[in-house]
Amino acid sequence: MTKFTGWGIASAMLLAAGGAQAADELTLQLKWVTQAQFAGYYVAAEKGFYEEENLDVTIKPGGPDIAPVQVLLGGGADVMVDWLPSALAARENGAPIVNIAQPFKSSGLMLTCLKEHGIESPADFPGHTLGTWFFGNELPLYSWMSKLGYKTDGSEGGVTIQKINFNVDPLLQKQVECATTMTYNEYWQVIDAGLKPEDLVVFKYQDEGIATLEDGLYTTEANLADPAMTDKLVRFVRASMKGWKYAEENPDEAADIVLENDETGAQTEEHQKRMMGEIAKLTAGSNGALDPADFTRTVEVLLSAGADPVITKDPGEAAWTHAITDEALK
Amino acid sequence: MSWILAGLAVWALGLAANIRLSKSRSRAAALAVPVIFGLTLVFVWEAVVRGFGISPVLLPAPSVIAARFAQSGAVLWQDFVQTVLKGALTGYVLGCGAALLTAVVVDRFDFLRRGLLPVGNFVAALPIIGIAPILVMWFGFDWQSKAAVVVVMVFFPVLVNAVEGLGDTSAMQRDLMRTYAAGYWTSLWKLRLPAALPFIFNGLKIASTLALIGAIVAEFFGSPITGMGFRISTSVGLLQLDLVWAEIVVAALAGSAFYGGVALIERAATFWHPSQRGR
Repeated sequence: MTKFTGWGIASAMLLAAGGAQAADELTLQLKWVTQAQFAGYYVAAEKGFYEEENLDVTIKPGGPDIAPVQVLLGGGADVMVDWLPSALAARENGAPIVNIAQPFKSSGLMLTCLKEHGIESPADFPGHTLGTWFFGNELPLYSWMSKLGYKTDGSEGGVTIQKINFNVDPLLQKQVECATTMTYNEYWQVIDAGLKPEDLVVFKYQDEGIATLEDGLYTTEANLADPAMTDKLVRFVRASMKGWKYAEENPDEAADIVLENDETGAQTEEHQKRMMGEIAKLTAGSNGALDPADFTRTVEVLLSAGADPVITKDPGEAAWTHAITDEALK
Repeated sequence: MSWILAGLAVWALGLAANIRLSKSRSRAAALAVPVIFGLTLVFVWEAVVRGFGISPVLLPAPSVIAARFAQSGAVLWQDFVQTVLKGALTGYVLGCGAALLTAVVVDRFDFLRRGLLPVGNFVAALPIIGIAPILVMWFGFDWQSKAAVVVVMVFFPVLVNAVEGLGDTSAMQRDLMRTYAAGYWTSLWKLRLPAALPFIFNGLKIASTLALIGAIVAEFFGSPITGMGFRISTSVGLLQLDLVWAEIVVAALAGSAFYGGVALIERAATFWHPSQRGR
């Protein structure tokens, strides 16, 4: 292993000596498919912000079967976008990953219920079926339920948790009474399906005081120990944050850039513009540096998961660093 | 480095032992050869993972998987009940039963053979990832929809084999039954069904592994928060690869036991057939 790293550094130095013009390569693994949720990175690439930093960034879209952590650890990417709960769960399972920047300040996670089921407050949850995505996305819901003191195995006085796929069909077909939605995506699928906002009861994790940190940038401890790599990461974070702020100010242009980069052609203009508007609300107020208070709150939410905790011990400051953002934001 | 050397040594030892044993004709040796091969494989796996320091996220060592297997017994059992006993077995019994009944009807009426078999062929050609979400929509998220997927998957192989088997009697044998004044049902029961058994068991054996695959894959398309397919598809996101592998071990054991069970019943039921004699 060390031999290979040695070769890597040697060849990198050779390359640097041979062609000073060659841009440094960096690969970013997204958490999900190409959409405005990741507009900042696409904008930075399209607007040449990465080029200005002498970076050649490859952006890999994710999908329902892609675990960004696995790609990162397998060497398929240098940086990944992930949610803190799943990142911490993976860290506890032996993946040495570290948060290096946090472009998302607020959480877009919500639980959307149909009013007809008579759910008005969290006190009404028992006896109902709540749908969520898994693959790490279920962790905030589990923390919330245990904070409320509800069992999640469908027993008396508790709730039933149901795995749903990444759409809102189960909610519309009454297979679940509440479904996990994002402010910028699935919520609008419900609206587009013909339901009106007044038909719905929406619980925002942000308002319930249980918001966990979403879309942050993560890399491995090995990368952070490598000065050449940290230098690249500093430039990457600086350019990405420039992209994010540009996207916030020019949402329509950002949505267009995302559409151009969507190789699947599955996204529509109306959807992406709306999504960009919602995303801008979540990135607002972040300069890229992780707020330790937000991190602590996330860890507390995750640790509070009673009998079935998401993580069993506080990972402490080893799980995040300001080293990259301090340098990038100078 | 020492792990890699140990792995090489064990591999060489296992190979040498198997080469020696394969010359022997005793029953014990015949059993020992695959066991030694399997153990060697597991040890070499362990040695390679440790020797090269492969990340547990990419490939956990067998010892880690074994530890997780021992530790997560309750979860594994719960998933086994949900997927194998409720989903796969129910679907297997329903699907194979329906296929056998259909085969008798198809065999009786020739226009059905020409009309129904192509439709069955068409259904069998549908990809499981296409029908699974639809069946989940129809039959709900619980095991019923998994059983439905299994029914669709096992129906056709059993039907085709059974129809083929029912036609596997010679004109001479049928004439003999007629001289005994045997009617349709008597000759079906006494001659044609027994003659069809080797074919039918062929279909049942194929279906036994298909059933497990169907039940597990169907769980990828919506499931309650239990079941082997659910666990395999979601634990990856949390990097609990050892749990994923433990589920795979359960699936392998259950699949082998299922297949072995059907094969044993076959041996008892078709003892007269040339392929079973002398074993």
